[in-house]
Amino acid sequence: MKLVGIVGSPAKKSYNRLLLQFIAKNYRDLIDLEVIDIDNIPLFNQSEDQTHTEPIQNLNRKIEAADGVIIATPEHNRTVPAGLKSVLEWLSFKIHPLENKPVLIVGASYYDQGTSRAQLHLRQILESPGVGAFAFPGNEFLLGKAKEAFDENNQLKDQGTVDFLRSVLEKFIRFVNIIQQIEGDKPAVLEPEDLNATGKGATTIEGIDMYAEDWVEQAAEKTEAVSGDTYVELDRGILTVDQLNHFLNSMPMELTFADDNNQFIYYNYHMEKDDMLASRHPSQVGNPLAACHPEAAHKNVAWVIQQLRAGQIDTFRIKVPTHGPDKFVVHSYKGIKDKNGQYIGVNEYVQDIQPIIDWYLEQTGQELVGGKTDGVSGASANDNNVDGVSGASENANDSATSVEADAVSGASENTSPAVPEVDTSSVDGVSGASENA
Amino acid sequence: MAQHFEEKATIELLEINQLPVFNKPENYTVLPEVQELVDKIEAADGVVIATPEYDHSPTAALNNALAWLSYGVYPFVDKPVMVVGASYGTLGSSRAQLQLLQILEAPELQARTMPSSEFLLGNSLQAFDQDGNLVYEDKAEQLDGIFEDFLIFIEIIQQLPHSKEAMVKAAKNFNWENI
Repeated sequence: MKLVGIVGSPAKKSYNRLLLQFIAKNYRDLIDLEVIDIDNIPLFNQSEDQTHTEPIQNLNRKIEAADGVIIATPEHNRTVPAGLKSVLEWLSFKIHPLENKPVLIVGASYYDQGTSRAQLHLRQILESPGVGAFAFPGNEFLLGKAKEAFDENNQLKDQGTVDFLRSVLEKFIRFVNIIQQIEGDKPAVLEPEDLNATGKGATTIEGIDMYAEDWVEQAAEKTEAVSGDTYVELDRGILTVDQLNHFLNSMPMELTFADDNNQFIYYNYHMEKDDMLASRHPSQVGNPLAACHPEAAHKNVAWVIQQLRAGQIDTFRIKVPTHGPDKFVVHSYKGIKDKNGQYIGVNEYVQDIQPIIDWYLEQTGQELVGGKTDGVSGASANDNNVDGVSGASENANDSATSVEADAVSGASENTSPAVPEVDTSSVDGVSGASENA
Repeated sequence: MAQHFEEKATIELLEINQLPVFNKPENYTVLPEVQELVDKIEAADGVVIATPEYDHSPTAALNNALAWLSYGVYPFVDKPVMVVGASYGTLGSSRAQLQLLQILEAPELQARTMPSSEFLLGNSLQAFDQDGNLVYEDKAEQLDGIFEDFLIFIEIIQQLPHSKEAMVKAAKNFNWENI
């Protein structure tokens, strides 16, 4: 179970941070707890909205992605610290990541009270409609006399406390599961996508007409982009820009990059428009995505990008049947994420996977059997001990009846005339669209 | 209130949005902007705190100001305080005021809050006319009464000098390290 632990104390030395670190380290068998500090978040000010800034967005993403939250609060003036209250105000203003989120309150203080009053205030705050969290009832965990509570290795000394904390966490885990049942699988309400790219991402090149035919040249001049035999350091390796180009052009697929601002900024141009599976023209690069698709397709394009940006899906695939029976063309839309999981764009790669399927069948001696499209793999059915690919090749001897129909393919559908093509209604939406562009 | 009660009291409005987030600094010397507030509060006969309600509690900004105003400085000890609040909805900051009254009881604040005088102003967007006057007559009347009482309350507190010295001493000696 993935939990986020928020250190409510603004102080450099904090027993509440120690407490969360202790929980993260000692109850790994129960939970996966990431401890987060909030000292980089400014005081809430409604007239100076900073919801979009990285520290707040980072917290937002982490809470959204977590199953639950633990807040460790000190007590200042019989209430929660202003810094913690401020964070909760940011998280109940334009964004509401704590809504319906199970929250466990704990607290450590220097004296006997162990943050008893602050916890009650925090509970009231969490249950306000703007925050909307589910504060875990009962099971108060108050760590008084915090200065004496930890040993030199930052471990809680008292075994009774350690055991009690475990029992609280075990119950909280069950609480999280119950809350998930109460809430059901509600689809998250996602932000609408702006296909006209009127916003601005971290890498957006401003001040150039996105519709200009020489957008690339203008943008290169403006950014003083390197080219030719200049070396570029990559992770992991070094290539010249030329090598990078040749390398990308040698990929057995058509690659397209649209950035987080929904601007089409790259494709591996090595074929002319008419020879491509999904045609693109050099002059289109720089266009907003709205200009790359007909109006009728915008809704579907926006939906796909929205899902990718939110991490609801990793890759969206669609087959395009308009290339004749000899090809099986798949458009895949993969969300590109940075190290922190932040969406930075979409990689649309277009491939004819028919040659791969043919080669696979030839190598394994299997053949596709018409009519059976239930996705049962004969290979794995015949031999439970082996995995997909290798099992298949071991299976080569009894070639007759293997059917390979996994998520990607539907391959058997397309090659067997017995099965009608049923999935074309949605095709025009996304990929057919890009061909029209 | 400053305008409405100008014949009865001089009310100076203090803004608190210029303070940094309280981070309990070690080896702290009082910030100049905090000292300015301290001087004004110490020189005043009483304090009126007006709080909105964010998430069922006083705003982080107010909470923050009170944190700075009770860290190494003790302007609120024995100070008569009247709490009022306004909100857009009908509840008029009721929950925030209750939390605020509890906060003002904390050992390093120890304000003399006026008891049994709740003033909740709901529907605040419609509550004032163009000149800033309160349009709800019953509310204006109630506020007049409470404010009159507050002026007497200040006098009463001034007649209770016996514990003040001990309170100030206790607040100054209150040291989290030594508990």
